[in-house]
Amino acid sequence: MPTKSNYVANSSTMFRVLSPSQCDEILLAAEEVLERTGVMVYDEEAREIMKKAGCWVDGARVRIASSIVERSLRSAPQRVTLCNSRTGSRDVQLEGYNAYFGTGSDTPFFIDPYTQERKRGTKQLVSWACKCIDALPNLDFVMSLGIVQDVPLLISDRHQFEAEVLNTGKPIVITAHDIKGYADIIEMCEIIAGGEEELRRNPFMTLYAEPISPLQHAEEAATKLVLAAKKGLPVVYTPCVMAGGTVPASMAGVITNGLAESLSGLVINQTAREGAPFIMGGVFTIMDMTTTIFSYGSPEFDLLMAALADMAHYLKLPMFGTAGCSDSCIMDEQAGVEAALSITMTALSGPNLNHDVGYVEYGSTSSLDLLVTCNDIIGMARRLVRGIQVNDDTLALDVIDKVGPGGNFLKEDHTGKYFRAETLNSELNDRQSYDLWKESGSKTMEKRANEKTRSIIEDYQPEQLPKDVQQKIHAIVERAENKLRS
Amino acid sequence: MYNFSDLSKAVIAGQESKVKELTQAAINGGAEPLAIINEGLIAGMNVVGARFKSGEMFVPEVLVAARSMGAGVAMVKPLLLGQEVPSSGKVLIGTVKGDLHDIGKNLVALMLESGGFDVVNLGIDLAPDKFVAAVKEYQPQVIGLSALLTTTMLVMKDVIELLKEEGLRDRVKVIIGGAPISYDFSSEIGADGFAPDAATAVDLCRKLLA
Repeated sequence: MPTKSNYVANSSTMFRVLSPSQCDEILLAAEEVLERTGVMVYDEEAREIMKKAGCWVDGARVRIASSIVERSLRSAPQRVTLCNSRTGSRDVQLEGYNAYFGTGSDTPFFIDPYTQERKRGTKQLVSWACKCIDALPNLDFVMSLGIVQDVPLLISDRHQFEAEVLNTGKPIVITAHDIKGYADIIEMCEIIAGGEEELRRNPFMTLYAEPISPLQHAEEAATKLVLAAKKGLPVVYTPCVMAGGTVPASMAGVITNGLAESLSGLVINQTAREGAPFIMGGVFTIMDMTTTIFSYGSPEFDLLMAALADMAHYLKLPMFGTAGCSDSCIMDEQAGVEAALSITMTALSGPNLNHDVGYVEYGSTSSLDLLVTCNDIIGMARRLVRGIQVNDDTLALDVIDKVGPGGNFLKEDHTGKYFRAETLNSELNDRQSYDLWKESGSKTMEKRANEKTRSIIEDYQPEQLPKDVQQKIHAIVERAENKLRS
Repeated sequence: MYNFSDLSKAVIAGQESKVKELTQAAINGGAEPLAIINEGLIAGMNVVGARFKSGEMFVPEVLVAARSMGAGVAMVKPLLLGQEVPSSGKVLIGTVKGDLHDIGKNLVALMLESGGFDVVNLGIDLAPDKFVAAVKEYQPQVIGLSALLTTTMLVMKDVIELLKEEGLRDRVKVIIGGAPISYDFSSEIGADGFAPDAATAVDLCRKLLA
């Protein structure tokens, strides 16, 4: 056997938007924004913490020296692990180019899978969504996919979490109305994990907060960042920025401004407690200049996501990405096209915790049928990313010679060995001939997806939490409701 | 009869310095001040509105055109000698208590201004009494309430209730908007209208004041 020097293999498909030099340039520009322009921090405790760390505080305006940003970048861990709440298995490793997929949270509306009507979110919807995610193998984590609105609204976050955790063991990105909501939900999480220390060591959840673009940290957001740091629990911090609206229309300007929002959030978090687990987010997109919507399906949205992933890898921060969503009002061809493009771009560029699978109407409405469809799309994207393995066995010279001109490979051992591993069998894509497709009911993809959604809702049983744990969780929900009443 | 077509074209193109130059030329040329506004500046803006509706122009172009129109109006205003600048109506707008989101609300304000409305933008995080005090102070025909969150949209109802208590509800139309808002919610809390986006908000105000 000869040795091979200078041999370079791509063990996965390669893809990037920004070069390291460009990442560096954007980082320096974002640091300049924080020194020169600064951010608004509408929380006194956060401002005090930042001031103590050396930030320049002028009223609510805080300017941040680059040295402080760089210190925060060094102190934040490169990796965050999330566990399954039932098995404790450390399934979701947010690091490097690992790409995981999950739903988005808190849409006001959802499409009822039985009537196809657009309705306000309910506790049942969130339960259904989480059951679906638990059942779908390519979905790795959960956000609520709806705002529970058939309970008292001011404490609906507790109900939302109850519906989530009862119906899936997969990690949960938790949203809450305010710091009191978070306190109750963290208490529930600690009960499930078996204690405060246990939850910190093996978290099955992460907190979630977002700044208000451009460059503002509202009181709720800043207090959540500080709370997460004090508790030693991971927090996702995700600016939602609109090119031409809240940030410049130029793509580099979008990333610079959005990154400045993320990095100032990182500074709040890391100055509250160095080494706290922080997951950098960012839904960077355009404001559509005809409708003024925040687009979840434009090519710029996909491009910015991939570029931000390059930034996150450059900064060595775990990243919260976005994919599997659409501007279309319903699950239709547009939704399929947009979801497929964003999932593919995301899988290729490798942000870690990718949410919003199942969003339609630019994040206002959720569709379980789209979610179920995306499970297949994610499978396809993962196949693309796995790339092509090139070695003596896969080059297959012996079997090529054995079969020879005019033969076929169908009954060869080599085919038996490789076809399953190399070929993805999508469940929802139909590859039948016309007549067979017609005989099996002439079903469109939407119809096939809807049937699968309903069968999961009706037949799938997620692993249950122990009865006493369920009771303790419900007692906290009731406590919040009673407090609200009195 | 003064020819305002170049002035209108400059407004449509959003060329602020050219609008100023041509407005000054019209003033120097002895054109009627109100005619400069109606036949030159507003006429240009009307074309912009129509082109936006047909998809030929986009929001930033509308706003830049409105800004250039405003620059012209500001020059003519001192010459009106007691005559009013033509207005489609006065609208007061703000984001309700607990909510700091304001890009959507600001966009509505800008589009209303582009549509010829006088807009008082009260800002964000406003309790019901702030709205009521502002209604008393500014005497608007319409007030617009904005919320992004399902928790804060409940405050919209409180604003309407307080307007009733203060005996002001009949004097002002209440319109609402924001991501979680729907037609159903609007009628449920007794608002006069809901607009799903900024352009529709302008149409809605026109309809309510017609």
